[in-house]
Amino acid sequence: MNRTVLIVGAAITLALVAVLFVGLGKDPAEIKSPLIGKPAPEFALKAVGTGQTIDIAALRGKPVVLNFWATWCVPCYQEHPVLVQNAQIIPNVQFIGVVFNDTEDKINAFLRERGSVYPTLLDEQGKTAIAYGVGGVPETYFLNRQGVIVAKFTGPMTTEILQSNVAKALQ
Amino acid sequence: MTAALGRFIVLASVFVSAAGSIVAFAAGRKRSLDGLQMARRFAYAFAALMALATLVMEYALLTHDFSVGYVAHVGSREVPTWVTIVSLWSSLEGSILFWGLVLGAYIAGATWLTRNQHSDYMPYAIGTWLGCATFFSFLIAGPANPFLTVPAAPDGPGPNALLQNHMLMIIHPPFLYLGYVGMTIPFGFACAALLRGRLGHSFLRPLRSSLLLAWIFLTIAIMLGGWWAYEVLGWGGYWAWDPVENASLLPWLTATAALHSAVVMERRGVLKGWTVTLVQGSFLLTILGTFMTRSGVFNSVHSFTQSAIGPTILVFLAATLLYSVVLLALRINSLESDGRIESPVSREGMFLVNNLLFVLLTFTVLIGTLFPLINEAFKGRQMSVGRPYFDSMVVPVGTALLFLIGVGPALPWGRATKQQVIRSLLLPFISGAVVAIIGFIAGVRNPWTILTLLFGGYAAFVTFNEMFRGGPKVVRRGRRRFGAYVVHAGAVIVLVSIAVSSTMRTSKEVRMTRGQAANIGPYTVTFIAAEDRTEPHRQSTIARFAITSNGKPVTTLEPRMNQYATMREPIGTPDVHSTLTRDLYLSIMNIDPGTQTVSVMMLITPMVSWIWIAVFMMGIGGVIALIPLRRAAIVSEAKDSVPEDAVTA
Repeated sequence: MNRTVLIVGAAITLALVAVLFVGLGKDPAEIKSPLIGKPAPEFALKAVGTGQTIDIAALRGKPVVLNFWATWCVPCYQEHPVLVQNAQIIPNVQFIGVVFNDTEDKINAFLRERGSVYPTLLDEQGKTAIAYGVGGVPETYFLNRQGVIVAKFTGPMTTEILQSNVAKALQ
Repeated sequence: MTAALGRFIVLASVFVSAAGSIVAFAAGRKRSLDGLQMARRFAYAFAALMALATLVMEYALLTHDFSVGYVAHVGSREVPTWVTIVSLWSSLEGSILFWGLVLGAYIAGATWLTRNQHSDYMPYAIGTWLGCATFFSFLIAGPANPFLTVPAAPDGPGPNALLQNHMLMIIHPPFLYLGYVGMTIPFGFACAALLRGRLGHSFLRPLRSSLLLAWIFLTIAIMLGGWWAYEVLGWGGYWAWDPVENASLLPWLTATAALHSAVVMERRGVLKGWTVTLVQGSFLLTILGTFMTRSGVFNSVHSFTQSAIGPTILVFLAATLLYSVVLLALRINSLESDGRIESPVSREGMFLVNNLLFVLLTFTVLIGTLFPLINEAFKGRQMSVGRPYFDSMVVPVGTALLFLIGVGPALPWGRATKQQVIRSLLLPFISGAVVAIIGFIAGVRNPWTILTLLFGGYAAFVTFNEMFRGGPKVVRRGRRRFGAYVVHAGAVIVLVSIAVSSTMRTSKEVRMTRGQAANIGPYTVTFIAAEDRTEPHRQSTIARFAITSNGKPVTTLEPRMNQYATMREPIGTPDVHSTLTRDLYLSIMNIDPGTQTVSVMMLITPMVSWIWIAVFMMGIGGVIALIPLRRAAIVSEAKDSVPEDAVTA
């Protein structure tokens, strides 16, 4: 009997099975955010390109579409034109992009190629993403005029999804 | 009627495999040859029943018998016949039935090939295989039953649109199953060795060959998956560290490590327990991979949507893990022998480093893949690590492995003198430096890519030198060795191509109206027209582009958006012009046939084709190494290896 093998093996078995068991029965696309109905966590981050600091608290009074993304995220490429187009046609709603786990050079190149019509903020240490409980990119939060999160969407949005959520934020 | 027949066959297979497993283990304990003979018959019977069940299902699919649950779920009168045939593996229940078919074929094949050999190990191997077979036939009979009787509808929805979208999707899943399911066979052999408490030299052959066979299929399957993603998904890449991609990579990593440690085991009589552990690990990782794809726990483009069978697979994973751990703990000490590794600076020393790197890679990828779940278990919410984690962890280890492909074979077995080391390392180093300099002149600036070119040139020199050392007869005599070096040559090309293609790509996104043109690299891309095309199973919007280079026409590319009736969002299908040096890749972002405008992403990626070619070459190398040696060659090869059972008796 080799005790080391038994102990290490049993530990790996137990840890793996436990982690997988916890994950069972949960649909990763439908994670409800505990933040819905609560005030959006505050942050102040520097915008890519301009270097201007944007404070989310200063945006109260205007609904906000807060989109978390990254240049390494494939669905974000698909979603970007939807955001750019809608940011241009929907009046009185502030669109904000927050990028994490990324570098300024890559973001600049991405925006140069694909267009940029609203501020993109760099969340260097990922603190804001953690505060919002972002599980993966893209993920979008919809804030109403009072700065309360009214909806959240995981995955790339289509124009219909985006507009129906914006409507909730405008109510 | 058909559904009832299918259910009956599957139930019979549950009974046959369970009975066969019990008979086999009993025969193992009693060392009964008659019992072994009976277990073999059960193994053949299981294979026959699985083949029969698959035939019944194909018959139901082809006759559009919508009273069979699976046919009602994936069948359609609208789709072409080839889609109907392959829809066997297009959805969960059918794919598990297909798994059963492949498992049956493997078990029958392995049982037949060992019919006159290894009678002391075989009962336990067959018992283990049929134990796994019992589980899978239980899945087919119960939680994932494709033969449920349902009220017959006039027509069905047709299979998953992604499957219909590209021909590669027909061959990728079968290869993947052949690789995945194939790991069951070496697992059975490894468990048999543990149950017997020894691993004789002659038993290494079936262990190694079955592992190599599964490895070949898995290698090709991973490549086909990447190729499919590249040709179909439209973002221009071939690997995204998606959980299910990782699931196919994990057993490949451990199997590759095991194939290497098996060489040391054969030569030096050491690392037996370690090799057996890796073989078991490879099988367990295929079950983990199956859980990942089938449980719905992971967010992925590949996931099957239903999650009803997740808990059942988890129980099986836990059971096989426990079985392996207990067997290892009980018997690993009795496998080891008194052989030892003399010096770290030797070929076997490099094999050890190789193994450590592969295991490190396995854990890195495994933890990265499970991270969302681990995070949720501790912090109550999911968070994925994403691509940067994988890239930053895997690139250095991959580069180190490339270095080893060069250094390992250049060093002698046993103990190397300083002169030997310097002599064997210097010449290939010059060749590596030349390749790196050529790369630099050609515009490569990324330090990792330059390092990859240096090690790649180095490894290529050593590989070709070793491959043809001893003249042309080496191909006939040392076929296994030659095959292994063909695999190495392929691996060098793959790693260099990945480095170059991922760091040297240029992209451009442009909006064009009819008649407008844009330039990228040496190409001029002219937008000719956008049109709608209606086929029975889908509607496509196609943009046609004329590609010219220096004024000369090169080709016409037709990227499209396909809209399937069963899917809400259209699926973009890019179009690619591939050459040996570079690919031009066009993918539609947005298209409006009314105004004849299109937004298109254009990509030029160097050396992508070489990845597919070189992985194929790795597969060919594996096949060369797998072909059995003729008797004369076995004698001459055995001369320079450890004599049969000398260190294990």
